[in-house]
Amino acid sequence: MTATEWAIDLADVDKVYRGRVHALRGINMRVARGEIFGLLGPNGAGKSTLVKILMTVVKPTRCRGSMLGQPVGHKPTLARVGYLPEHHRFPDYLTGRQVVEFYGGLCGVPRTDRRRRAAELVDLVGMHEWADARVKSYSKGMRQRVGIAQALVNDPDLVLLDEPTDGVDPVGRREIRQVLTHVKAQGKAVLLNSHLLSELEMVCDRVSILVQGSVASQGTIDELTRGKRRYEIELAPGDEPAAAVFRAALPDVFGADPDAAGVGTLPGGHTARLEGPALWVDLIDPRDVQWLIDAVRARGGVIRAVRQVRPSLEDLFMEAVTDPRTGKTLDVGAAKDAPGRRRRARP
Amino acid sequence: MITQTLALLLDTYREFNSKRLFWISLAISGLIVAGLAALGVTKTGVTVLVWEIDLPFMDVMDLTPERFYKLLFTRFGVGFWLSWLGAILALVSTAGMIPDFIASGAVELTLSKPVSRTRLFLTKYACGLLFVALQVSVFTVASFLVIGIRGGVWEPGLFLAVPLVVVFFSYLFAICVLLGLLTRSTIASLLLTLLCWLFFFCLNAADVIVIQGREMNLIRQEMTAARIERMEKSTAEVIRRGREEPGEPDAPPTAEEIDRANPRLPEARATLERARTQQPRWETASRVIVTVKTAFPKTSETIQLIDRWVIEAAKLEKLPGEEPDAGAFQFGSPMSPQEQRQLQSRIDDRLRGRTVWWVLGTSLGFEALVLGLACLVFVRRDF
Repeated sequence: MTATEWAIDLADVDKVYRGRVHALRGINMRVARGEIFGLLGPNGAGKSTLVKILMTVVKPTRCRGSMLGQPVGHKPTLARVGYLPEHHRFPDYLTGRQVVEFYGGLCGVPRTDRRRRAAELVDLVGMHEWADARVKSYSKGMRQRVGIAQALVNDPDLVLLDEPTDGVDPVGRREIRQVLTHVKAQGKAVLLNSHLLSELEMVCDRVSILVQGSVASQGTIDELTRGKRRYEIELAPGDEPAAAVFRAALPDVFGADPDAAGVGTLPGGHTARLEGPALWVDLIDPRDVQWLIDAVRARGGVIRAVRQVRPSLEDLFMEAVTDPRTGKTLDVGAAKDAPGRRRRARP
Repeated sequence: MITQTLALLLDTYREFNSKRLFWISLAISGLIVAGLAALGVTKTGVTVLVWEIDLPFMDVMDLTPERFYKLLFTRFGVGFWLSWLGAILALVSTAGMIPDFIASGAVELTLSKPVSRTRLFLTKYACGLLFVALQVSVFTVASFLVIGIRGGVWEPGLFLAVPLVVVFFSYLFAICVLLGLLTRSTIASLLLTLLCWLFFFCLNAADVIVIQGREMNLIRQEMTAARIERMEKSTAEVIRRGREEPGEPDAPPTAEEIDRANPRLPEARATLERARTQQPRWETASRVIVTVKTAFPKTSETIQLIDRWVIEAAKLEKLPGEEPDAGAFQFGSPMSPQEQRQLQSRIDDRLRGRTVWWVLGTSLGFEALVLGLACLVFVRRDF
């Protein structure tokens, strides 16, 4: 993919606030045109700072890369970008329609175009009936809808949405997902910043997990879960406990001692683990599971289910924010220490 | 670029439109103009709607309706309403503009648009000044119509008040904008701006007091010197007459003889000497205050330019017996009425002797500095 095909192509983005709060540490990130990219991370991970740098609200300490083919910070490019900040505050004296038209005007959209676009967009986000009411009378969900409409008023090639479903009810969230899919279908890129991992999982093509200002992992959900999928073989209740059946069927894996630990190694080095009525095996290829099924059935075990289990985005997220040495969650927030030093795990 | 500027202007109009204070200020302006229109002048007094009130000094003043309305406009309309109460209301209305603009959640949206921060900031500042420009324009147009209809003269010179009041307000607004950026608080920026205004006012008052003291001292020197000369002449004449014995030499009396003959002369000479000794101190004090004042905006003097220009432009001469409004202090003055008139005239001349470039140029220089600093803060800050 060439540089112009990336909607966002960032390298070595650093941000140090007031010389001591290290918010971002060498972020490398690419968002392709026509994809929905999810940015996730705990509070203070630097997600909003990164988005603000792209939108020239915050100045980076160091930044290489481009947005829509232009260097980051190039103001005219922002005419092709839509943005909805977190905790946005629209002027109370404006109506929803006026909000959309005002920000369209600031983007340089001609008057007739922005009037037409505003009418279309308030329809798209389901605010037709409330479009001419003052913003101060809106609920949080309604403000979010208007916020999304204003982010699209300039018909942008790239849309950055910071917590767009914050305060929105399930129906509204579904509608917002549909809007995002609609935007993506038009070949536009969407950068979505959210805490609602299930929401992201449903719409995002790729995700990036930020932890303490660094990219902990990045890729499609498939890429991120590759090697982390496993099979679960569950037995139906019988005369013998499930663990005993599995031990008897796989004596070379778990040993003959019923008191031994329920963790073993399969031929080929994959891990097997006994958990309740099920056997968990770290296998990806379904062909590798067949002999296990045969062995269990040969021992008289009645198999109720065989499932391939993929880690959820939440699992990936929790893995990213957990210190592998201590198993404890890392501190939230940016580091207030020297660059390059990882913060300690939360007690 | 025009689309973006127009969008900001429209937004500012909507913001003002939503503020009660904007309409309250406009309503007060309307009431003041209506009050002006309700007043009338006759040869013997004034009229209020249909009621006539006789005033004993009216026949002396020879006040025509034209002069009456113009004076009401400059003295009360501009001198009190626009430059004091109206300005305070305008500050209250606009003080929240920058803190609201940079509030979290609002500023991100505006900064993320393809408008440079400098242009955004300066446009917002200019939009704030529109508030005052609109208020002053409405007031001046209404006054123009009242003076035209009731006074019978159409005087376009009155419109000079519009740019001058806007310039005067812009000094304070620039300070308010900087403080709003630094404190992010409407109340703090408003109170600190009013405090700055008070400081400028006190500086101006100190300037007038020092000018008064210096001129009073000079007048005292001149008058004492003239008195000494008169006393010397008269005493010498008396001495000469005392010598009119035949055969005595007709030599002029010596200074010692004169002083011996008139015991008030040494006292007058001592007074003159004291005044001369004090003069350098007044000069130094005056120089210090003028130097300090040069660095700050001259709010009072800018408004006095309206007096100076509008009166000239509108062909308004002073009322008979009216003192120049230089703000000279009269309390406890030991001077005679003639000396007081002379003093007022000199203070007036001194103040009017200051060039418009000094008054406006240095004030606008200060404003540019403050605005530049505010702009720098706005451009460099992370929001």
